[in-house]
Amino acid sequence: MRLALAIGSFLILVVHGLVFYKQFFHAWERHQSAYFDQARGLAKSETERAAVTGRSPRIEQLIVTSFGETRVDRCTTCHISSDDPRFEKYAHPLKTHPYSAAMGDVQKNGKWERRHKFSDFGCTVCHDGQGRGLKPEYSHGEDHYWPDPLLGYVAQHGWRKEFVSKLKGREYMEANCAQCHTEDNFAGTATVQRGRQLFFSTNCYGCHRIEGLSDGTLGPDLTEVGKKFKVDYLWESIADPRANSATSVMPQFKLSEADLKALVIFLKSRKGMNFSETEIQRYRAKLTGGAELIQATIKPVEITASQMLQQGQKLVEDRACMACHKLNARDGGIAPDLSYEGLLKDESWIQEHFANPRSVVSDSIMPTFRFTADEFKAMSAYLASLKTAPALASGADAYKALCQRCHGDKGDGHGEIAIYLDPYPRDLTKAGFMNSKPMERLTHSIQNGVAGTSMPAWGKLLNEAQVKGVLEHVLTTYTKTPRRELKARKVPTANPVAMSPASVTRGEAVFVQRCAGCHGRKADGKGPNSLDILPRPRNLRNSAFVHSVNDERLFDSILYGVQGTAMPPWIDYGLSNNDVGDLVNFIRGINPQSKGNQHARAIEPR
Amino acid sequence: MPVNLRRSSGANTEQGEGGHRRAFLGWLTSVGLFGSAVLSAFSNFVFIKPRATYGAPQRFSIGKPEDFPAGTRIAIESRRICVVREGEKLAAISTTCTHLGCIIGISDTGFACPCHGSRFDQDGNVTGGPAPRPLPWYKVSLAPNGEVEVDKDVEIEPGSYLNV
Repeated sequence: MRLALAIGSFLILVVHGLVFYKQFFHAWERHQSAYFDQARGLAKSETERAAVTGRSPRIEQLIVTSFGETRVDRCTTCHISSDDPRFEKYAHPLKTHPYSAAMGDVQKNGKWERRHKFSDFGCTVCHDGQGRGLKPEYSHGEDHYWPDPLLGYVAQHGWRKEFVSKLKGREYMEANCAQCHTEDNFAGTATVQRGRQLFFSTNCYGCHRIEGLSDGTLGPDLTEVGKKFKVDYLWESIADPRANSATSVMPQFKLSEADLKALVIFLKSRKGMNFSETEIQRYRAKLTGGAELIQATIKPVEITASQMLQQGQKLVEDRACMACHKLNARDGGIAPDLSYEGLLKDESWIQEHFANPRSVVSDSIMPTFRFTADEFKAMSAYLASLKTAPALASGADAYKALCQRCHGDKGDGHGEIAIYLDPYPRDLTKAGFMNSKPMERLTHSIQNGVAGTSMPAWGKLLNEAQVKGVLEHVLTTYTKTPRRELKARKVPTANPVAMSPASVTRGEAVFVQRCAGCHGRKADGKGPNSLDILPRPRNLRNSAFVHSVNDERLFDSILYGVQGTAMPPWIDYGLSNNDVGDLVNFIRGINPQSKGNQHARAIEPR
Repeated sequence: MPVNLRRSSGANTEQGEGGHRRAFLGWLTSVGLFGSAVLSAFSNFVFIKPRATYGAPQRFSIGKPEDFPAGTRIAIESRRICVVREGEKLAAISTTCTHLGCIIGISDTGFACPCHGSRFDQDGNVTGGPAPRPLPWYKVSLAPNGEVEVDKDVEIEPGSYLNV
């Protein structure tokens, strides 16, 4: 007992001693003492010596009030000689802050003079970091919870290893330069300007809103993104959009590393309000519709009837359609090929699709752009004029030119742009599916497309022999398994249950019980099991699709299942013709005949 | 309980050594507890004075010597000092009244306080009014970057100048 007490009390003494030591002996005191010693040795005159005599280590701080909220920067406590030109060759923290003509420093009589005096600007205005911190971990913002770590010099624990090396470099500090130097042609913020151009040329503006620059609505507002997120998060969100949000529909754009960096730096500079703006300026800008603060933006173009096509072409190029779409040689690798759009779609379809892409392809991720009606008209006219059919010799050629982008070079549906399409392109290697459908239906899908999806009607581009050639190529190259004769199934050709509110209610009950697990309670194909299934469950609210299939096909799919997919034959699980009739009425009931049906094609065969 | 067993055996068989051991443990305990008590008490006293306050820094730069032409007396109100330049000599005199802390203005004969009429001569000595002490002079030095630095933490003998 006494022994324990003795050891315990001794331990307490040791702990107290350690706390005491940590509280009263600091690294910054050592740095300052070293500086005073060195400065005394370096002093050449009495005045220089007098400047350091009598000084003892203490916490140095700069109080900066001119930039937003008052900043207390204690960086000079360790970096005490940052403004002492004699320490240029020393190691950090005593190294002199470099002088640079690019930052406005000027040399007079061999002596540099700073444009941005530390006493006026402090340190964190340009560098970020935690001004009050007195330990490198805190002051440099290495601590995971500090929102603004030292820009371009420090990585926090938990940042993705493969990104860390890309997040370093002094160009990141341009994001803070741009807080005051907002001019478009300012030499010191070249990377920010590049990022701003990329924001338009890679079509970020289509989905994202930045006050005064763009007004997209599909993605998050980026007006204050630089204030909310650190550079690692910004980089990750562009390089790998689904890393932080599994359901993000943001495409992975093809950007070089330099471009990605420029975009990250541009976004980091978006802090809602910069230091050179005043409240009154913002208020005035609000009254004038943002005119004063707009730096570069998409400006409406006056369309003249005689030059519609040329202007349409220019718009398609200027407004960065090819950041996603393919048009001849230029390919964004995200959205369908527009090279022969005029053959596949008519002008009114294109115009309606511009006005609201989801009115014709219900799960399209294409943003609704806010261009003027005239601009849409010109762009539609231009796209509708693209009527040059490619020369396609064989079925294999046609597949390569037309199908491969979505269905993939192995025919497995994992084409280049497949992940951006909903529904996902059909896996043509699945013999279970391919061989369970009659040839007429396969031919029909190629010839007339599939309504409500991205599959276009290739019949407008290919003649019958070519369609046959493509189908043969697909069946022999990808499906491989030879077809067997299909057994005739007993399926009613028309719904035996009359459409009535009672039938729809019964159908809904059956749907919730049997179908909702995959198709979702809202019948939008996003049930809890849907993410484990490929092809994904059909979105039954895709009106264009639902209207394009007849009752017979719905009965066939429900009663006998869809081979090669997760849809089981419900006849084996006790659904009668009447139950299915109710279900069909329910599905028809949630897809009322309306505008969306305008472009539904002829009812296809089973 | 092993501790109990050991203690009883020690008490019975080796009386002398047990007592010695007991005294040593008692000594160790008291030193440990007393030492930590002293350390923590001392720490408390040190914490009473803050290491840094939120006011403007006491040592600051006021610009180049050329900014103060010879023969001028320029008051820097935000810093509460008056920079005096005589020929090649530079000094900084406080402009906070030693009476009740008003900001003193520069007058023809030196300084004058608007609050209670204290008057000072060119060197800050009291010439009239309720002010109890002359105005303090602060240490002025030439920083390595060529700017003049004033340290309000260090008062110097009136009449001592920095040669620039």
